[in-house]
Amino acid sequence: MTRDIIVDRILSILKEEFEIENPDLDENLTDTYEFDSIDAIALLEHVEDMIGAPLTQEEKKRAMELRTINQICDYIERVIKNKK
Amino acid sequence: MERRVVITAEAAITPIGHGKKEIWNNLVTRVSGVKNLKNRDELLAKYLHSRVFGIVDYEIAYDFPRKFAKTLGPVSYYACQVAKEVIDRAGMDRETLSSGRVGVAFGSIHGSPTVQRHIYEAFFDPSHTGYTKINATDYLKSMVHTTAVNITRMFGITGRVISSCTACTTASQSIGYGYESIKYGLQDAMICGAADEYDLTTVAVFDNLLACSTAFNDTPHLTPRPFDVRRDGLVIGEGAGALMLEEYEHAKKRGAQVIAEVIGFACSNNGGDLILPNAEGVKRTIRMGLENARINPGDVDLISAHATATKMGDIVEAQAIHSEYGTGPYVSGFKGYIGHTMSACGAIEAIFALYMMQEGAIIPTLNLEEADPRCGMVNHTMQVREKDINIVSIHNFAFGGVNTSLFIKKWR
Repeated sequence: MTRDIIVDRILSILKEEFEIENPDLDENLTDTYEFDSIDAIALLEHVEDMIGAPLTQEEKKRAMELRTINQICDYIERVIKNKK
Repeated sequence: MERRVVITAEAAITPIGHGKKEIWNNLVTRVSGVKNLKNRDELLAKYLHSRVFGIVDYEIAYDFPRKFAKTLGPVSYYACQVAKEVIDRAGMDRETLSSGRVGVAFGSIHGSPTVQRHIYEAFFDPSHTGYTKINATDYLKSMVHTTAVNITRMFGITGRVISSCTACTTASQSIGYGYESIKYGLQDAMICGAADEYDLTTVAVFDNLLACSTAFNDTPHLTPRPFDVRRDGLVIGEGAGALMLEEYEHAKKRGAQVIAEVIGFACSNNGGDLILPNAEGVKRTIRMGLENARINPGDVDLISAHATATKMGDIVEAQAIHSEYGTGPYVSGFKGYIGHTMSACGAIEAIFALYMMQEGAIIPTLNLEEADPRCGMVNHTMQVREKDINIVSIHNFAFGGVNTSLFIKKWR
């Protein structure tokens, strides 16, 4: 999965599931869109569907620090790499 | 210190309408909101004996931003909508709501059963992987206090939270405990009420207890039949009701319009069986309520009876009313119009009482055509009666042996 595809999928999920439209990739989602811990957990469910594998508890805990779309995409790339 | 507690706004979502105009028209013209059971759940619907339900089958134009909606199950949609309406009608601003002097007393019988079923289905997924699909918000939607805390979150309320969960006395406890919170100076205002959503599991519970109406499946508008000789059980319903209770001087200072005054409340337990109605418990609760309200039985103009149309419950209530009130007050039961809206019934019935005070008319018990002789000793309301109503007492009784009596007085 290329970086561009990951970005497109995340932007699509944020728009359809979280009503976040046209965000900047380095914008703090919590500050700008009130994206909270409940949303973060919900987003991880979509990430699991996206990568086709469940996330471990440790992987989920690490995701709680993410704030921007670029950070989310970095995280997904690392998870995919580790699961190979 | 005892302070006066007034009602400054009301809102209801019921099987006979949303808002006073529609509800009142349907009460006066004796329209039933009981219809054939929704058949969306094949498994349960196939095996249920009762196929009637008090359904909210109209669209409600919710306008909740996603950040709030994401933690709302169906029951909290109802709850937040009626809370929003009472806040708007009472004209209470955000600063007051967030002052710490405004609280919420709101409940439901058990959170959102629809969401709970989703959780159980996930847990019992034969692949044993379903539990990972329990949504991040499922607990927030289904927990027992989901209605109360979603209201606090949506409207920035920072005062006390009371989340009664006593089945059919949930709303009357909410109002009663809200009343006490203000009366004794702990809060200046409380948003009080309850909500329950449509779900077949609730029907199944009562169906299995042989408590549901089954003889009128083809004529749902003819059931339930409180106090009637042909009554054959209760009809489950859904809906929500909310009241804004406020300390009188606080309301006056804000320039709020006062609708009525809450003058008394009592709650007791039968101290025994968890299901069977108990006349002594009901009588005691009536006496405690009258004492709390500092009035005599003869001061009460109307009793809004719990009257679920079960065989035993109606008899016990009628006998208890006769014992404590004689034949003085009119007696009406409103579940013929809306079914038994479970946790919400006490709030909805209190709101019906407010409407009757405002309109100067007593609404009769729907489907009461011939009183069961064992229930016939009280002053049943058989037709719409024009009357200036001063004091109404609202009765509610719940599984677990819980009894409440609430007293509301017209504001003059």
